[in-house]
Amino acid sequence: MAFERSQRIATQLGLVRIWQWTQDRFALNRIWQHILDRRVAKGAWYFGDGATLFFLFTVLFATGGAMALGYSASPDQAYESIQRITFQDHLGWFIRGLHYWSAGLMVVMLFFHLFRQILVGGYKSPREATWLIGVLLFFGVITMSLLGYILRWDERGIYALRVMLNMAYRVPSIGEYLVTIIQGGREIGAPTLSRIYAAHVIIGPILLVTLIGYHLYLVIVHSVTSPTERKRPVASGAEQKAVYKQDAQSVERGEDFFPDTAAKSGLMALLIFILAIALTFVFGGGQLYSPANLHESSYPMEEWWWSWFSSLAAWLPPSFANLFYVGFPLTVFALLVLLPFLERTPYRGIRNRPIATLFVVSCVVGLFGLSSLRIQSNWTAWPSDTPPPVPVGLTLPPNAEKGRLLFAEFGCNSCHAIDGHGPSFAPDLAALPHTMSHRELRNYILQPPTGIAMPAYVGRLTEEQLSQLVDFVLVVQISRR
Amino acid sequence: MERRNALIALVCGGSAIAGGVVGVPAAIYALSTTKREGQLWRDIGPVEEFELGRIVPAKVQRDTQATKHQVVEAGIYVWRKTTEEIIVFSRSCTDLGCPVTFDAGSRCFFCPCHGGIFDQHGERMAGPPDRPLYRYANRIQLGILQVDLHSVPPMI
Repeated sequence: MAFERSQRIATQLGLVRIWQWTQDRFALNRIWQHILDRRVAKGAWYFGDGATLFFLFTVLFATGGAMALGYSASPDQAYESIQRITFQDHLGWFIRGLHYWSAGLMVVMLFFHLFRQILVGGYKSPREATWLIGVLLFFGVITMSLLGYILRWDERGIYALRVMLNMAYRVPSIGEYLVTIIQGGREIGAPTLSRIYAAHVIIGPILLVTLIGYHLYLVIVHSVTSPTERKRPVASGAEQKAVYKQDAQSVERGEDFFPDTAAKSGLMALLIFILAIALTFVFGGGQLYSPANLHESSYPMEEWWWSWFSSLAAWLPPSFANLFYVGFPLTVFALLVLLPFLERTPYRGIRNRPIATLFVVSCVVGLFGLSSLRIQSNWTAWPSDTPPPVPVGLTLPPNAEKGRLLFAEFGCNSCHAIDGHGPSFAPDLAALPHTMSHRELRNYILQPPTGIAMPAYVGRLTEEQLSQLVDFVLVVQISRR
Repeated sequence: MERRNALIALVCGGSAIAGGVVGVPAAIYALSTTKREGQLWRDIGPVEEFELGRIVPAKVQRDTQATKHQVVEAGIYVWRKTTEEIIVFSRSCTDLGCPVTFDAGSRCFFCPCHGGIFDQHGERMAGPPDRPLYRYANRIQLGILQVDLHSVPPMI
């Protein structure tokens, strides 16, 4: 009754005609028909990872656009402009924080999406092109996730830039040329920041928008892996189309894209969005370190979504470094591009593809394992002025106490821990696997065996100092046995 | 059909030419760069200010044209070994360019990133670095220590 009445009022006001005109002139019917009102095969809720990526991209686009209004891409103003955005501008902290956390989560979701497609065989015919565009998007987003924090022009940013330049420098024969191209000149300076800005704020987003559009268009044309495809072998693109059509039309294996699929995918996007907002509120509007400089003593680290790469780099034997820094990204790119043409078995879905499952599981374990190793960073030695504390319940004899101070003065504590206090680069001297005599320890300090990463102290310590140092180590050692 | 083929050729060819006219100059602009030629000497400071035998941090001004901002200066380590010999190390780790810090106690250079450690001569002791620390060419002019910016890679 009420509906009919409002319909009559709408007609009288001419609203119906306006709506019909809008539908016709803006071709809304066609958009509705081609994008939303489709029968598609049923997917699980976690098929929403693609929608989540799309959503995160729009968040990054909007927050990035907002920040571009306040950011200044000049080396003497960039840092201050970020400070202004974060601490002065209205809701700047929220915009920047959301951009930062959405970026990190987008990298995570990117790996999730990539791994899931490898698991189900999402690259198989007829979806090869969808996959190839996806590979480009993968590398595009990964690159953006590095360029973005260089723009902060703080210490972390500038050393991320230097890491990138040092990797480029290793490319055979054109390394130096590549570096000057990225830098925009003979050294890091104003043109460098302009280039990073242009790449992150103008060229990158345009390329990503184009590629995402094409990727989604191909997803509509070739669809996503359907339930039946995942259950039984599907040999060709033509067979897939037939199988898919049946699935989409059936009641139990198909659904309407709008609202069924949209709701499910949207749910996952919403959960990740809430996570990004929560992280922004808990950890604030994104970190900012000391202003960019190349002369102060500093301890820069990569952003958390790159931790795994740092651990990998730390393990490299020197002879392998050149090959790895240039070869690793290229190999990953080549393998991903070639994957649909190398792996052509008719099996799709997780259950029938043990090798893919094994591969993805080891990648995930590897990424998490490497990232957690980075928290410890056992490979890093670092100077400290503070001598190790006297172990609890122990009174040091005067000689050993002097040795404890020498332990810091001569930088022993840069590498060695005593009783758990200090870096873990070199063995904890309170817990050596085998005991050394006073004389053995003395000789070891003066001239460590070849192949041991320890400087020789011959000529640097007096006999008395040497004896005090050895006393300290031995006293602590004995007390711990 | 003749006309159709001619039009196809015209449209495709015309687009390609237009694309080339814009794209090629844009690509050349983007990919051209100033080459480093010859030497570029910069003052560090009076040589007498560097204590004999010690390895001390110092700064080198890279771009004198630029407006004042922090990144103009690069950190270096100066080791006045003897009155005759001075070694100037870059602070950039030879692995991926993180800033090494000299520890006067152990006389080692430590990299904060991936475990690179160098001895006082700049030789690798541990970690992934595959070459010794970069050394700037240096000279003394009228008692002033100078280094050649072009004697190390451009990103340093």
